[in-house]
Amino acid sequence: MITVERLTKRYGPFTAVDDISFEVKPGLVTGFLGPNGAGKTTAMRIMAGLTPPTSGTATVLGRPYSALPNPGRHVGVLLDASAQHAGRTGREVLSLGAALMGIDKSRVAEMLDVVGLTDKEAGRKVRNYSLGMRQRLGIAHALLGDPEVMILDEPANGLDPAGIRWMRDLLRGFAGEGGTVLLSSHLLNEIERVADELIVIGNGTIVAHGTKDELLAGAGTLVRSTDDDALMGALAEGSLVSRRTATGGLQVEAEPLEVGRVAAAKGIVLTELRGGDTRGLEEMFLELTSGSAREEVAA
Amino acid sequence: MTTPATQTSPNSPTSSGAPAAAHPNVSAKAESALPTVAKMPSRLPGERPTTGIPFSRLTRVELRKQLDTRAGRWLIIAIGLVIGAALAINFFTDGGEHSFEDYLSATMLPTAIILPVIGILAVTSEWSQRTGLVTFALEPRRTRVAMAKLVSALLIGVAAFVLAFALAALVHQAAITFRGIDGDWSVGGLVVLGAGLYVLLGLMQGVAFGALFRNTPAAIVVYFVLPTVWGILGGLISWLDTPSKWLDMNRTMQPLFGGDLTGEQWAQLGTSVAVWVVLPLVVGIALLRRAEVK
Repeated sequence: MITVERLTKRYGPFTAVDDISFEVKPGLVTGFLGPNGAGKTTAMRIMAGLTPPTSGTATVLGRPYSALPNPGRHVGVLLDASAQHAGRTGREVLSLGAALMGIDKSRVAEMLDVVGLTDKEAGRKVRNYSLGMRQRLGIAHALLGDPEVMILDEPANGLDPAGIRWMRDLLRGFAGEGGTVLLSSHLLNEIERVADELIVIGNGTIVAHGTKDELLAGAGTLVRSTDDDALMGALAEGSLVSRRTATGGLQVEAEPLEVGRVAAAKGIVLTELRGGDTRGLEEMFLELTSGSAREEVAA
Repeated sequence: MTTPATQTSPNSPTSSGAPAAAHPNVSAKAESALPTVAKMPSRLPGERPTTGIPFSRLTRVELRKQLDTRAGRWLIIAIGLVIGAALAINFFTDGGEHSFEDYLSATMLPTAIILPVIGILAVTSEWSQRTGLVTFALEPRRTRVAMAKLVSALLIGVAAFVLAFALAALVHQAAITFRGIDGDWSVGGLVVLGAGLYVLLGLMQGVAFGALFRNTPAAIVVYFVLPTVWGILGGLISWLDTPSKWLDMNRTMQPLFGGDLTGEQWAQLGTSVAVWVVLPLVVGIALLRRAEVK
């Protein structure tokens, strides 16, 4: 269980995290989705007690992270797989973690086995690891203390499709046993395969939060026609709210049937008409991305 | 992306079921793969801990971290080599006719100069290597981490001091036995204290400067350059002479090796230590507590 309340982090004039609140529930895999620079990593670092917030609170298992006794035994944190001493071997990295948490050395071998790092690879220095291997080492480290909560920043980065499937199975299993999982990603299709619940963040604020089903249901209708301007006018006459999407076409807050009726009445030729599916979420996400990209250019 | 050129591992039993080279156009990877079926880690027996990490355990891990990297190992090896060379020079020049104190200062000087780098790296590597993300996530009480680093650095200092002392005695005895010198074992208590302080205060200062800058090159350069510049200025500019008597550790420690200190000299030593060791340590730890770990 992670609770974030009115969390804000400012760096000078720049607001990285802007008054966000949400709860990450046990038994579910929660995806933290947003374009690069949206504030995901900053928010996660605050949750793990590594960055002091400007205002607001974040608690894990009902306490501020820094008040957890031996936190590695409660929370598995992976914020950056590359943040390891390049001169230590993978096995040494895990051994140090196990020693600090006070758990048996045999756990190190077990975790190496869980993430499929061979004996020989574990004896190699981290500087010689590929990104995928570092990521697996990081996941092994996060699992080391048999935590109840996992906070993972872009854990699928560098994993191949088989690896992403593996991670989905692992996190599902973990949540199935009552664990709490928060994992971030900037890739929608990556996260929608793993997460039950989604928190979408853009420019430091939460733009959507709900179960995957809810978010998909709220996606409305996507419609394309030979004359989008005319269609937009016709929809407005019928007091249906529509807006242009970043990829062309209109996003309408109505069922496809209603939109089809309006178009038929006006004799507008439709080239595409479909209900909210993942594409709806994707449109929203793309707009978020292009929006923040525009801001970057403007700034 | 980091794809190392040298990857030679054969498939392990755990990865034998991996769908490697499933596609004909994809060459078989030399790197191991994740198991096809995710294996859930077992549950650790017993209750989750309700008490924090004991300081002794934290110190033990910090000690290991200071010695398990190439930088740490080479610093120790470098100290050993320099001590060896210094002792050899004393042994072979002037017929080995040097007092035990001479041998002792030959071993202490390199130890006291190089060892503080271990203290510096103990703190700065958490930022330069970004291991702080893991260290401070596993022990968020950062003052304890800093103190564990300090204590483990001092333990290394004590070990180095004892070893350097023993080596000096060994070689001095060897000079008596094999080179037939008369031998002079007289050594003042203050000299031993001075040598010990020289080594340990240097290490504490190293940890302090590491915490102040949290950046390896900056901490090392300032650690070595600032006291030297201050010493030179104190010697050159006449009106700096009095402050320098109180604030230049190289000067305030000197009387220890002379074997006699007046009350004022003790006060001068204490003042310089407060300014160069205690103050940076307090400020450094305060900064380290608040610093963002990225």
